[in-house]
Amino acid sequence: MWKNLYTWLDERFGLDDMYKNLLDRPEPKTSWWNTLGSASLFLFVLQGLTGIFLTVYYTPSPDHAYDSIQYIMEGVAFGWLIRGIHHWGATLMVLVVFIHMLRVFYTASFKYPRELTWLIGIGLFLATLGMGFTGYLLPWNQKSFWATTVGTQIAGTVPLIGDFILKALRGGPDLSALTLQRFFSAHIWMIPAVLAALIGIHLFLIIKHGESHWPKKED
Amino acid sequence: MNDETKKQINKRYEQELDKGERFWPDSIFRDVVVSLGIFLLLILLASFVGVPFEPKADPSDTSYIPRPEWYFLFLFKFLALYGQLPLIGKIEWLATVLIPTIAIGALTLIPFIEKSPNRYYSKRVLPISFMSVMVVGIVLLTIMSEVPTVTEDGSKLLGTLQTVVGIFIPLLAYILLFVFKKNNRLMIWTASLAAVFMILVSGTVMALAPEKAVEEVEVPATLVDQITAGQDLYAVNCTECHGDDGSVAVIEGVEGLEGEKITPINSRDVLYTITDSAMAEVIAYGRPNAGMPPFGKTYGGELTRSEIDYINIFIRYMWDDRFEAPEIKPLFPPLAEGEVPSYDVHIQPIVKRYCISCHRAGKDNNDFLMTSYDEILTTGDNVEHNVVAGDENSYLLQVIQQHAIMNPDNPGEEMIGVMPPTKALKPDIVDAFTRWIMNGMPQTAEDAAALSGAQP
Ligand code: HEC
Ligand code: HEC
Ligand code: HEM
Repeated sequence: MWKNLYTWLDERFGLDDMYKNLLDRPEPKTSWWNTLGSASLFLFVLQGLTGIFLTVYYTPSPDHAYDSIQYIMEGVAFGWLIRGIHHWGATLMVLVVFIHMLRVFYTASFKYPRELTWLIGIGLFLATLGMGFTGYLLPWNQKSFWATTVGTQIAGTVPLIGDFILKALRGGPDLSALTLQRFFSAHIWMIPAVLAALIGIHLFLIIKHGESHWPKKED
Repeated sequence: MNDETKKQINKRYEQELDKGERFWPDSIFRDVVVSLGIFLLLILLASFVGVPFEPKADPSDTSYIPRPEWYFLFLFKFLALYGQLPLIGKIEWLATVLIPTIAIGALTLIPFIEKSPNRYYSKRVLPISFMSVMVVGIVLLTIMSEVPTVTEDGSKLLGTLQTVVGIFIPLLAYILLFVFKKNNRLMIWTASLAAVFMILVSGTVMALAPEKAVEEVEVPATLVDQITAGQDLYAVNCTECHGDDGSVAVIEGVEGLEGEKITPINSRDVLYTITDSAMAEVIAYGRPNAGMPPFGKTYGGELTRSEIDYINIFIRYMWDDRFEAPEIKPLFPPLAEGEVPSYDVHIQPIVKRYCISCHRAGKDNNDFLMTSYDEILTTGDNVEHNVVAGDENSYLLQVIQQHAIMNPDNPGEEMIGVMPPTKALKPDIVDAFTRWIMNGMPQTAEDAAALSGAQP
């Protein structure tokens, strides 16, 4: 019975092929350092899940953002856990992605044929930092408000177009409801979409070229 | 890279694959272990460290020292150090735009900058040394991010040392690395020494760093704490006009507003029609034309956004009958038979709630200040009569028991009105004041306990 079901699904999905191509791949001997990429992926997914829960209660307006977070922490069952994981997950994700990048650099895994994997990786790194930067404003507390004020100010020092960048980021000359709204939008739609697409390409390239082997004397 | 090298690389890879493992289950096993470990770590962090509490954003509070998220701290520190450099320190965009752009650009283009196909460490000493010095610098700058560049005595020593760690040593190391490009051993020495010196100097910086005055911003986190905080703020800022329970309809004892008729702010008329955000605006902007001064920082007052919110929460939960107040701790622990109250435990909270709003600097109060133990005993036009140990005719005791003090030179004239002017204190508070003064005004709980023991 199960066997029939499996065969039926296999005929439409190609489960066996998938198994061969995705899971039963040969790999060089890898080490614990090679787990950092999948750890980044895990954190991305975890951030996505906890983030979706947070949006159920979070309200991106200066009047209510702070209180809605307060409510998540105190009023919602396990809200503190979800927010706690999202908060620390953000920190850990930056750390893990950074160390993943360093390991790729130290083992020279970015060399032929994996140059493009590296380029996509840089995009992932910047997008991860972008997630951190935009997410930081959302609780609308003193720390986040003023950190974003200076953060956007720094962007405003770009010669010639600085003022334009500053206003585009803030949605006006000052931090306001508009700033919060667009940071929120960037944090939950734009940057995650970019991240997801880049991760897709990143993983495709990794499967295509296989994981690089640990460099030996003859490399 | 020519096709020959590419073919060689691919052949090497095939060899390694032959000696290798399977993605499933070999590699994925480790992946799962690490991910689960991370998940556990996150649950522990969320449960036992939690998310630090922060007050609500207050755009008017420009005194707040902004600090970015920790992984941007090194950049922040770098900008601060760079700003100290003579001449180029003034050209801000060099550090904020050009240098980060070059850094990220270089990072991006690494596969095209480092073109050799070699992967083994000893064949890549230059890039590895370069990156290592950079990473050590980033870590150290992050660690030092709390240390000021100019200390309070005006000394720039710490700033200079930090610049040495963050800018000079790395710069020197980079130059030397390129000079020694051909010599692995010298490059390794350069990078190692640079790292050691950077760590030593930043160690010195951390040792010399002024003890960080741990700014204990106690932020009320629970509802009860917020209500209590709101009540204290209300007591200090609002009681003089609105009374401790908001019931004042005719203002008394306030210069310039004597006899002014107002709507009691604990009435439904006010509570049901003024929303939280309108209430916050009333408090922030005041009603300057009608006599209520602005309290929000934005308009020159001294209350922050969160503080105004706490007052709001207090008003709602205590007066608005649509809200159910949680259990609130009593203002002071009730006194047992024969127990002597102390300033620290009993009198201070009472004074803070019922008297300080008028009895602090800058208010009309016969110069009788009540913000500390010493002030209560040593200030006031009638200091020698106000608080006299063991004397039940102390002016303070008289006036809180609804006996105004008449002017001795002119018995027809009231010298000190009853206190607080608008509403009599409850008997238990009068009792606490009486016991306190009759037993010689003990300051600490121990002093009071000793006196309680001495009671027959
Ligand atoms: C110097 C005296 C004074 C102080 C101090 C003061 N108020 Fe008022 N307040 C007034 C007066 C006078 C009015 C009446 C304004 C009016 O009738 O339009 C008023 C009105 C109000 C109202 C609006 C009532 C209505 O009818 O719309 C609220 C709410 C209020 N005050 C709250 C507060 C709070 C909270 C504080 C403490 C932060 C405070 N006030 C401190 C004098 C004061
Ligand atoms: C609404 C403002 C207000 C509040 C609240 C208030 N006072 Fe006064 N207090 C005054 C003023 C004004 C004077 C100056 C005398 C007068 O005008 O009656 C004064 C004077 C005094 C004096 C005489 C000081 C001297 O040296 O002449 C004492 C004692 C005193 N108050 C005690 C208290 C105590 C105790 C409380 C708290 C339970 C309190 N007051 C609360 C306004 C206030
Ligand atoms: C959201 C962030 C990222 C995710 C989810 C991710 C995911 C992964 C995964 C699952 C792997 C295979 C396992 C491993 O080698 O660890 C991998 C490999 C790789 N990653 Fe990433 N990565 C991210 C960021 C980056 C960054 C910032 C870089 C570099 C700039 C980068 C460059 C590479 C390269 C070159 C490889 C191939 C390594 C090899 O074959 O040995 N990645 N990545």
